[in-house]
This record gives sequence, C-alpha cells and structure tokens, in this order.
Amino acid sequence: MIELKNVCLSYGDKLILKNVSLKVQDNTIKAILGPSGVGKSTILKLMLGLIKPDCGKVFVDGQDITNLKETELYDIRRKMGMVFQGNALFDSLTISQNIGFFLRENLKLPEDQVRKKVQEQINFAGLEGYEDQLPESLSGGMRKRVAIGRAMVFNPRMILFDEPTAGLDPVSSKKILSLISSLRHTSNLGAVIVTHIIDDVFNVADCVAVLYQGEIIFDDVTEKLHDAQHPFIRSILSDKILEL
Amino acid sequence: MHLTIVRNLYKQMIYDLKAFLLNIQEFFLFSVRAFVTFPKVRTYWRDVLDQMTICGTDSIPIVLVSSISIGALLAIEVGNLLEDFGAKTMLGRSTSISVLRELGPLLMGLMLSARFGSRNGAELGAMKISEQIDALRAFGTDPVAKLVMPRLVAALIMFFPLTALSDYAGLHSAAYLAEHYHKLDPGIFWNSVYPRLLPKDFVVGFLKAPVFAIIITLVSSFNGFSARGGTAGVGRSTIKGIVVSSGLVLVANFYVSKIVLENM
Repeated sequence: MIELKNVCLSYGDKLILKNVSLKVQDNTIKAILGPSGVGKSTILKLMLGLIKPDCGKVFVDGQDITNLKETELYDIRRKMGMVFQGNALFDSLTISQNIGFFLRENLKLPEDQVRKKVQEQINFAGLEGYEDQLPESLSGGMRKRVAIGRAMVFNPRMILFDEPTAGLDPVSSKKILSLISSLRHTSNLGAVIVTHIIDDVFNVADCVAVLYQGEIIFDDVTEKLHDAQHPFIRSILSDKILEL
Repeated sequence: MHLTIVRNLYKQMIYDLKAFLLNIQEFFLFSVRAFVTFPKVRTYWRDVLDQMTICGTDSIPIVLVSSISIGALLAIEVGNLLEDFGAKTMLGRSTSISVLRELGPLLMGLMLSARFGSRNGAELGAMKISEQIDALRAFGTDPVAKLVMPRLVAALIMFFPLTALSDYAGLHSAAYLAEHYHKLDPGIFWNSVYPRLLPKDFVVGFLKAPVFAIIITLVSSFNGFSARGGTAGVGRSTIKGIVVSSGLVLVANFYVSKIVLENM
C-alpha cells in the first residue's frame, strides 16, 4: 500500500501540491485525474522517492520513505515498476536489453533466466520479432508496450503509469488500456494511473482521485465520480476536457 | 523609482549569488558521489571499456591533428626567432619544453573538452530530459555509478596515453619542420632535446592528464545531469559544460605548471 499524508510541494515560488493525502491499496487500479501541469506526475515521483516533499510524509507498506537516503530507497523502488510518460526507454539498448535491464543490472540473474523472463514480457506485450530493434524504430504504442514490459519484468507489486495513453492513436490507446486491465487478472498487480483523459479512468480504474489546483477534490470508487458535485468534476464529466 | 530599480538589482544579485553557491555545492556533492562509486568499477567494466574507446581511441585523430599543427607552428616561429640570435641549434630544446610541459597537454585538454565533454553533456542532458536518468533511479540503479564513474575512470586511464601521443606527434612534427624548413640537422635537433630533458618536464606534463580528465568529465557530466527545459536546455547545458571545463583546464594548466616547477 502507498500512502501520501498531508504532502505539499513547490517548484520555486509555485505551489504544486497543497496538503495532498492519498491512499493506494494493493491489487487495485487507482487513477489520478487532473488537468495538465497540476502535479499528477509529481505524485508518482513522490511515491517512488524520486523527489522529496516540502512537508508531509510518504509511506510504502507502512514504512516512512520521506527521508530515506537514495541507497535505502532502492529496496522500496523494487516493489514498484514505473512507466514514464515519454517511456524513458534506454535508446542505446535494444528492446530485449531494455526489458531485461533490471534483471541483469540489479538482480544479476543468470542469462538463461533473463532471456526467459524477457521473452515472457515480449509475448505479453505482443512484440515478437522486434526483440533486437532499437526503440527509435518502433511506433509510439509499441514503445509504450516495451515500457510496460520493462516495468513488469521483475514482478513488482504495483505499477505506476504516467499518462499511459497520451499522444497515442485510438487503436494503440485501446491496446494499452486492455494491457493495463489484464495486469490485475494475469499478474495480480496493483496500479496507479495518472491521466488527464477521463475515458481512461472509466475504462480501467477501480477508484479515482481528482487533483485540481494542487488539492484532492475527490477520492473514491470510480462509479461515484458521477455523483460528485464539485463544479470542476461536473464540467469534466460534461465536456470530458481537462485542459483548463 | 530609482530606489526601486536599485532594490530590484540588489535582490537579483543576491538571488544569482545564492544560485551560484548552490550550484557549486551541488557540483561538489556530485563529484564526491562520482569518486565514492569507484568500487563499483568491476560491475560496470563494460561501460568503462566503451568510454575508453570513446574518449581514447576515437579521440586519436583530433589529438594528432592539434599536436602536429602546434608542433610544426612552434618549430617555424621559434626557429625564426632563434635564428635572429644565432641560436637555431636550441630549437629542439625550446620546442620540446613547450610541447611536453605546456602545449601538448593543454591542447589535448582543450580538444578533449570539446570532443569528449560535449558528447558527455549532450548525451547525459538528452537522457535527463527524456527521463532516462529518472528511469535508472526508479529501477534502483545509481545513475552516477552507471553513467559518470565509467566516464571518469576511462578518462583517467586514457588521458595518459593521449598526452604521450600528443607529445610524440608534436615533437616529431617540430623535428620534421626543423629539418625541412630551417634546414637543421636532425641530430642537432634531437641532441638538444633528450639530454636536456629533466624529470620535472615529464611530471608537469603528465600530471595535467588526470587533472584535466577529472575537470572535463565531472563538469560536462554535471551539466548534463542538470539539463532542463527541453532540447534547448540540452544545448545550453552542453555549451555551459564546454565553456566552463575549457576555462578550468586553462586555469588548472597554469597552476599545475606553477606548483610543480616551483617545487621540483
């Protein structure tokens, strides 16, 4: 379980998060919905300990990770896989090297085991035949699937998705969303999805938190979002546009 | 009105000074982290070999071009000057000291600052902008150990042979020009080089190799790691890395020479 308690964060003079409190339970898919630039990706980075909050605390499985050193955070991060918005694939490595990076680099698994696990992810992501290609030669949707495979390969308990369908065509978006939905059924994984696309929330998320002007204005199961009375939520439900 | 302008200028100066000091502090911590990760060199030996090829083998042409040019130029100019005093036989001595102590290592440092430093800055900056460095951290890999330490080790190893190559090429191009331009017998040229060279001439030249390696690698890598603001930000950080490392190479060149020559 991941929990943020009264977290606030500023970039320079700009206050990004104001007393944000949030819980993500294991084996559930939680969406964080909000307009662009509101601090959604920042929340994911806080969960991984990539950045530290100005105030408040971040807990992972009950452990306070707020003030842990970088080396102490490595064990925490191994519980979570991250799919970055721009995929962040290592562009000098092939697809199979990207997926197997963590297994070789940190787990030091024998090469035959690495190959087996990489092949499993390549099959899961439908990337057979592209193993030896570099990321630059793939389409946006395929790169996203490589990033998901890379995040899943070491069997984390939770995967963090930063705008998983942003910039993708409708067909690729659908594929990515069905891949995310299948995670829980095939691997019993939990997930946090940061998005500004409300349809994605209704398609995959069990529960949703809405972030608006640095504050959480809604945090409940997805079905209850329709009953929310906040003007911002009413406007996004009617327009489905979050670029406010 | 004027008071407001002065007050704003003062505020801006204080802000810039704080930012500068913070930057120095971050650079210092970054450098310490790069050295502290040296024990991981066995884990990342492949990366070290890759970087040795990039900063060593691939840099040979540019080091040769610069050292041959400067050796030849020195031979012509210094030879003309010595001829006026009837001391052309001292050409070997004067060019060898200039090349071994100063110009060989300095030009190599500046060339590598441009070549190796710009590559580091651009590559690491692009990795930072595309969140690849965050991805490394997210996967539990220390980006400094993976990306900076191998570059530093490779530069520390390869700058020595590059300095030797630069010295060799510079001296031989000077000897060639002495023979063919100034019509000086090669025996006379080399006789004024070898017997008169002292250990301090080599120490001062070769001590600069690791100093330049540290400056160029750490400054360019730090600027790459600090890149922000898209592709334009990568450009800015790369330029900053080259300018600062080149400036520091020039300053370090002076102080290494001064310290060694005063104490040996």
